[in-house]
Amino acid sequence: MRGKHSLFYHILIFILAQLVWLSLLGIWIYWYVKNYLVFEKVGESVSPQLIYDVQNALPFVLGLILLIGLSFITSLIFRHLNVQLKITRLYDNFIGNVTHELKSPLSSIQLYLETLKQRDVPPEKQKEFIEIMLKDTGRLQGLINSILEMAATEKKKLLYDYQVHDADNFMKKIIEESFERFRVDKENFGISGVVDCKILAGRDALRIVFDNLVDNAVKYSVKKPMIDIQLNSYGGKLIIQFTDNAIGIATNEQKKIFNKFYRIYNNEIPNVKGTGLGLYRVREIIKAHHGKITVSSKGKDKGTTFTIELPVYKGNDNRWLKKFSDTKI
Amino acid sequence: MTENIYKGNRILLVEDEETLAIGLEYNLTEEGFDVKWAKNGREAIDFYEADKFDLVILDIMLPYIDGFEIAERIRSSDPKLPILMLTAKTEKADRIKGLEKGVDDYVTKPFHLDELLLRVKGMLKRKSWYKTASEKQPVYKFGKNEINFDNLMCKCGTEEIRLTQLEAMMLKYFVEKEGEVVTRKELLENIWHLNPDIETRTVDIFIARLRKYFEPDPSNPIYFESVRGLGYTFSSGRK
Repeated sequence: MRGKHSLFYHILIFILAQLVWLSLLGIWIYWYVKNYLVFEKVGESVSPQLIYDVQNALPFVLGLILLIGLSFITSLIFRHLNVQLKITRLYDNFIGNVTHELKSPLSSIQLYLETLKQRDVPPEKQKEFIEIMLKDTGRLQGLINSILEMAATEKKKLLYDYQVHDADNFMKKIIEESFERFRVDKENFGISGVVDCKILAGRDALRIVFDNLVDNAVKYSVKKPMIDIQLNSYGGKLIIQFTDNAIGIATNEQKKIFNKFYRIYNNEIPNVKGTGLGLYRVREIIKAHHGKITVSSKGKDKGTTFTIELPVYKGNDNRWLKKFSDTKI
Repeated sequence: MTENIYKGNRILLVEDEETLAIGLEYNLTEEGFDVKWAKNGREAIDFYEADKFDLVILDIMLPYIDGFEIAERIRSSDPKLPILMLTAKTEKADRIKGLEKGVDDYVTKPFHLDELLLRVKGMLKRKSWYKTASEKQPVYKFGKNEINFDNLMCKCGTEEIRLTQLEAMMLKYFVEKEGEVVTRKELLENIWHLNPDIETRTVDIFIARLRKYFEPDPSNPIYFESVRGLGYTFSSGRK
């Protein structure tokens, strides 16, 4: 509500500013025309040989430039305010989402600690509760890291643990681990394609990439998720195609989904939890690996395909390696 | 050994956070409740329609159907079923929206286990007290208002509304204490069965609702008057 009101006031101020500007322009022209005739009459009577045209045109032109300049500045201020307003709204949403995401694991940990304190919990249950609490602390850690990484990304101070990996084994293992973490059954995903190349990549960073893609595919699926992953290698690139059967992404939203704090709202699946940082992180990680990520979707309920391109390891090419050692995204 | 009066009471727990739900289910079961856990809004509606419950613990941010809509659907078919909203949403607007949808109580995350269990038990106690109290005098009239405490239907002048269980309980309490000053503390202890130090705003929200329903001019109340620094007093206008 606050956002809507702010936008209304900004538009109102802009319209009023334009009206003031047009009135000023009208008054200015009126004043000039009126005084021009007076000046001309006075000038003719005092000194008929004077040239009035140049002298009188100068204040008119200067006045016009000043007024047009004012209008231009008003437009710039309006544009700037609108951008600020959008950022504030996104930021407010982000704070709300993060607060919610922080409170859930925190509530859970508090509940288990109070349970253990107040009840005589059997040892087996105690073990189970401790495992749950560790899972929740992991969730909190992941969330805090994503916020801290966002700040580090903006200051270009983030480095990954780059190592050379056999692409086929490495990618398949990382992807399977992500499916396991998000409890996607084996019959609900498939990994196809065999690649014979090496890549230079950070294990933890790529884990974040696939965790986010799998998490989104699960969260945005109305039915049981079905995920297909294809690995290919050509043109010095490792290509990973990640296709899900989730709700799909409208064309106008496909570019925006990698923006910081941006979240998709869909009536069919309301209240999808998240912070709006996931795909932003994914894109930044892929960029840091000198790769590229694109998204395509055939439309509503037709799923989404994310295509990741990563450069194949070029052995002892020092210039290429230097790019990674200097990488500070 | 005292008998557990809550034993066998059925609770529908609607919570999509698995780790939290497991802990809640364990604690409620330990207290003697029979718990059914719904992981999302759709499941909650399915379970509610297929079974009978004594109380619902409801999150707001749920996949498919949110908690407000679930509360509304439950209220349209059962005005007496106690609903407790358990949510991370702390804003006043959400609390008011929940209460407007017919929720009886609102607890924000993170919460204390003791407090939650007290509230759950309090709601069940209220339910049983109300049942006994409403049997004695099922219909009550004051001014242009007529209340049926059995089916919770009210005729307020020309309008007809349905009270929530908690609204009816509050009204019943006021009717029984007509002419006396009823403090917020007393209401919290006897209606909510809560420690008055925990919560005070909820009472004021409910009083505002009773005034909206029954007063000819809610800003100048004649039935539910405020007693400065103490609480409220009810007068039917007959005494």
